[in-house]
Amino acid sequence: MIADASSKPAERRWQGLSVSEGLVLGRVLRIHRGTKHVYPARIEVGDVAREIKRFREAVDQAKTQLLAIKDRAANLMGQDHAYIFDAHLLMLEDRKLSEEIENFITRKRANAEWAVKVLGDRLLSVYAEIKDDYLRERGSDIEDVIHRVLEALSGERPAYLDLVEEAVIVSEDLLPSAVAELDLGHARAIVTDAGGWTSHTAIIARGLGIPAMVGLEDLCQHARTGDGIVVDSYNSEVVLHPSNATIAQCLAEIQRRAGARPAAPASGTGIALTSDGLQVRLRANVELPAEFAGVSKYGALGIGLYRSEFLLAQPGVMLSEEKQYRAYSEVAELAGENGAVVRLFDLGGDKGGDSVADSERNPALGLRAIRFCLLNETVLRTQVRAIIRAAAKGQLDIVLPMVADVSDVMRAREIITQERAKLEKENEDCGPVRVGAMIEVPSAVFTAEKIARVVDFFELGTNDLVQYVLAVDRSNDKVADWFRSLHPAVLESISRTLKAARDAAIPAIVCGEMASTPAYAVVLVGLGATDLSMTPSSIPRVTRVLNGIDSRDAVAIATECLACATADEVEEIVRERFLARWPQLFPPRTLPAKKTQQRVDHMQDRER
Amino acid sequence: MVEVTLAVKNELGLHARAAARLVRTANRFQSSLRLERVDGTLAADAKSILNVLMLAASGGTELRAIAEGHDEAEAIAALSGLFENGFGELES
Repeated sequence: MIADASSKPAERRWQGLSVSEGLVLGRVLRIHRGTKHVYPARIEVGDVAREIKRFREAVDQAKTQLLAIKDRAANLMGQDHAYIFDAHLLMLEDRKLSEEIENFITRKRANAEWAVKVLGDRLLSVYAEIKDDYLRERGSDIEDVIHRVLEALSGERPAYLDLVEEAVIVSEDLLPSAVAELDLGHARAIVTDAGGWTSHTAIIARGLGIPAMVGLEDLCQHARTGDGIVVDSYNSEVVLHPSNATIAQCLAEIQRRAGARPAAPASGTGIALTSDGLQVRLRANVELPAEFAGVSKYGALGIGLYRSEFLLAQPGVMLSEEKQYRAYSEVAELAGENGAVVRLFDLGGDKGGDSVADSERNPALGLRAIRFCLLNETVLRTQVRAIIRAAAKGQLDIVLPMVADVSDVMRAREIITQERAKLEKENEDCGPVRVGAMIEVPSAVFTAEKIARVVDFFELGTNDLVQYVLAVDRSNDKVADWFRSLHPAVLESISRTLKAARDAAIPAIVCGEMASTPAYAVVLVGLGATDLSMTPSSIPRVTRVLNGIDSRDAVAIATECLACATADEVEEIVRERFLARWPQLFPPRTLPAKKTQQRVDHMQDRER
Repeated sequence: MVEVTLAVKNELGLHARAAARLVRTANRFQSSLRLERVDGTLAADAKSILNVLMLAASGGTELRAIAEGHDEAEAIAALSGLFENGFGELES
């Protein structure tokens, strides 16, 4: 199934960061936004008609593709995300453009490729002059459409239509908008040069339950569509042009794993029970409709975190109350009797709210999340109304993202109370809604016991917590070594927050990506967490591990970790204690690697 | 010929989605349909999305719509309706 051995290039290996576990053998599907090289050719007068026909056929082919992509995007990400492909279709159907291109072919006796390229570039330069930021960005849509037509002209079919069965997607980085274009349901794995644990690629790959690795640096320069590739995210390794020996080894390992894997509970209970009888509730984090099926499939105890901003296809365009109401009603029904927690729009910062964050020098510390909601009261009120109404259909709660202290909570609660009163006056059906706070910035950690008095529950967003406590931008590869989820300062923050919740007798759900890694989940339980929310596909794995531990051991290990000075020390303790205590649950590669050793290697590399 | 002045009410203006709706609507009619900025700086064929986007009509912009043909009245009425409800993007 992999290219024949005769002229096979030598095997090459890359190390990266595993963000979703698995081992697969497949073929590279290179996704890039590269420019296409097009050359002018002078054609005979007699061939003009043929070139025009080629152009029209290419446009038709591109249209057929776009219609399929539009449907796929609607299914995968929701109807509101599909609109952009409608604009692409209209651009293809634009008579003005096609007439200009056909005239150019006739007058200049140009080949169709050249005509498309010249007029496309001319159009792009006009767009580049537009003063309005948003409209100027539509240039990228035009580029996309032109690229698609050129591809059709060259007779190349977009690779993803052919290679769906064994495709391993290889890309510099996957933009959220590119995700819609890919038939991710059929992809075997995703690997990207850039990105981190919490990048969009990582989150979506975990949601779909396919292996993914990021931070592969220059893999893209070497991988070509169709190349054989092994993605082994258990060992944080990618092998390009695997040798026959590597392939055999890989197939054997895949088979061994398939045999060794204990039967996953078809539909778990969503509750793990440690050997000493502690119950840990496991809920689902969801955003895209593509992930909804996983909630019941993996037996989640309701939805612990619904990231509502993914409803918004475009920065700046708000959804009407009715549309939001329908979306939240669907989430409420999906979650069932255990309910769902809706996080208010977490816009701004890195969350794609471009129109908001554009002008800020430091968006992560700027107008985002609850701050954005409080300053855009209409947006906040509309969302709150939709949630309160949908709560009549099933249990829904609200969590306020990124609160800094009690005052953020009080302002938001006042608005929620007012909107409820208005709705009741209007005789709308309303449901009870509890209000919680996301604890994810240091000021909230330090005032957690005060915040606990004014909310109904806590959620700990560990991704942001790590970023803000350690002052490390999680999307910046250069500082990836400093992004350490097991840093003692992070553990102390989690421990402190959980204690504040216990003292106030309110629930606390840990809902960052940390919870989906079994080793980290054990540490969280050791710190006192009894309620975790994660990517649905991780639930069976985490349940299995938690069922196999004694929570008192976890507490003892976590206490030791809290006394450490560095993340390296914590990881060392986790590695040693886990291996000694639960060797059957934690094969060495599932535990944090020895970072110190890697650093030394890096330094030696530099010295050479 | 029918002529009417319309205001862009939705906040983002005639961006991709709104422009797509406008162009889809315009193409349902036989009549020619032109849009001009009232300050006279730019004009567009309402049946061409590339043209319409280039008007760069942000929220609050006033545009003159001119229709000519046997269904010009219906065309203008349909267009006015779209502008009136902000291309379906106004807060309800």
